[in-house]
Amino acid sequence: MRYTILLAADPAVWDAAGPEERRRIMAAHDAFDAEVLARGAVVGGEALDAAATATTVRHDGQGRLVVTDGPYVELVEQLGGFYVVDLPDLDAAVAACALLPDYYAVEIRPVLDVGELSRS
Amino acid sequence: MSADEVLAGVVRDRWGRLVAGLFARFRRLDLVEDALADAVEAAARTWPRDGVPASPAGWLYTVAVRRVVDRLRTEAVAARKHPLLVAEVERRAGSETMADPGGLVEDDLLRLVLMCCHPAVAPEVACALALRLVVGVPAADIARLFLVGEATMAARLTRGKRKIAAAGIPFAVPGADVLPERLGVVAQTAYLAFTAGYAPGSGADLLRADLAGTAVRLARVASGLRPEEPVLRALLALVLLQHSRRDARVDDVGRLVLLPDQDRSRWHREEVEEGSRVLASVPAGGTPLTENYRLQAVVAAEHALAGRAQDTRWDRICAAYTALAEVNPSPSVRLAHAVAVAERDGAVAGLAALDGLDEPLGRSHRLPAIRAELLARAGDTMAAASAYERAIALCGNDVERAHLEQRRALVIRRRG
Repeated sequence: MRYTILLAADPAVWDAAGPEERRRIMAAHDAFDAEVLARGAVVGGEALDAAATATTVRHDGQGRLVVTDGPYVELVEQLGGFYVVDLPDLDAAVAACALLPDYYAVEIRPVLDVGELSRS
Repeated sequence: MSADEVLAGVVRDRWGRLVAGLFARFRRLDLVEDALADAVEAAARTWPRDGVPASPAGWLYTVAVRRVVDRLRTEAVAARKHPLLVAEVERRAGSETMADPGGLVEDDLLRLVLMCCHPAVAPEVACALALRLVVGVPAADIARLFLVGEATMAARLTRGKRKIAAAGIPFAVPGADVLPERLGVVAQTAYLAFTAGYAPGSGADLLRADLAGTAVRLARVASGLRPEEPVLRALLALVLLQHSRRDARVDDVGRLVLLPDQDRSRWHREEVEEGSRVLASVPAGGTPLTENYRLQAVVAAEHALAGRAQDTRWDRICAAYTALAEVNPSPSVRLAHAVAVAERDGAVAGLAALDGLDEPLGRSHRLPAIRAELLARAGDTMAAASAYERAIALCGNDVERAHLEQRRALVIRRRG
């Protein structure tokens, strides 16, 4: 199964973290990587810049494009990064996510096969 | 036994194993349930005419396998897939008899239970899936149990099956580090289904208490698969003891009968005995969830074993509630504790124990109902009557409201 793992967190935690705390957070990501590699593969992933740097683009329903400053939804927890992994099942994904920094809210989403979708 | 009785028996006792066996083979929850339902329908049609087969469960399995294979073949053709894929379907159909009736099937049943009761499945969805797939309860009955329409329940079941398939919820028994927690989720699922049968509805709820019996069966299946697991034994003891009183809860004309006034000869003695026996095998001091069920079962057992209401050992019940409040400090536990205190030490002590519950229980009719009862016992009929008024205004259940109105009338008559 391929999953996208969305990482949401309050960015203030990282901003306020000292060097030791930051090392601990990075070590948690290393532990996640190792766990995924043991059961499957990391297909991709990125850390994202602050939500304040985001630009949201929508259509207003009257044919106009509306470009606004900021993320599409404003919350204390913001999308801070994602992984794409290949793992046998949801339990394997949960076990790997359990190793991520404990101030994250992690959403595991199965990835659809777009080729399959357009054929069906 | 008639063909219909044999069929009902095999559906009751073997449904979960059949679903588990079919799922292990085809991994298609959507097809497996329909195929098995078709097989049961075919059996209902043909067994009375042709006679009951030597192995009724094997017959259902074989017919269900053929149905799944037919559907897979149709799908493969519809998708215009390569003829080789159709051949692959034929190959997987393989032998049409049940591979292994022993230990492996039990493992598959445990896998099925854990899959339905996975923490990634919403609790009310997990309840519906487990009752349908493990216990074989018809979807219409599950809808009545949860007070929702049949279309809503059908959609809930479909959503659950889709979530399991799409999210990759495994058909597997997790490692020993995770298993106890997962069995805790199984227990919580069964208990949620059980309590749904006793949740106040808008009409008479006799039928729904009967449906709570399907949750007792789920608890029994789970405990049978992992008999050494304390949380499952504590749960089984609790539901057996609570459910044993179902026939005495409502009188012949549908009025609610409270515990002290219940006709104890209508309690199911064999269930009380089994529940007590199971309870005795649960060691104290387990996980908070186990203790939560065990201590509630201790209370239920004390009631069940008292020959008459006045023989109830309220000191033991108070002690159980005090311990229960440690692991489950909910307002409803404190309310129950206050009732036990009133029985042990008198109405005035009970009223004092109700202090501080108005805020968390402000919208429930139970708090003013109990306060009214205790005020009446303490002789304050004016305050009792007005507390009954408040309880009646808050009560949403016909049977309970009728009971409260009767109590209020009695208090007012005594005063006059």
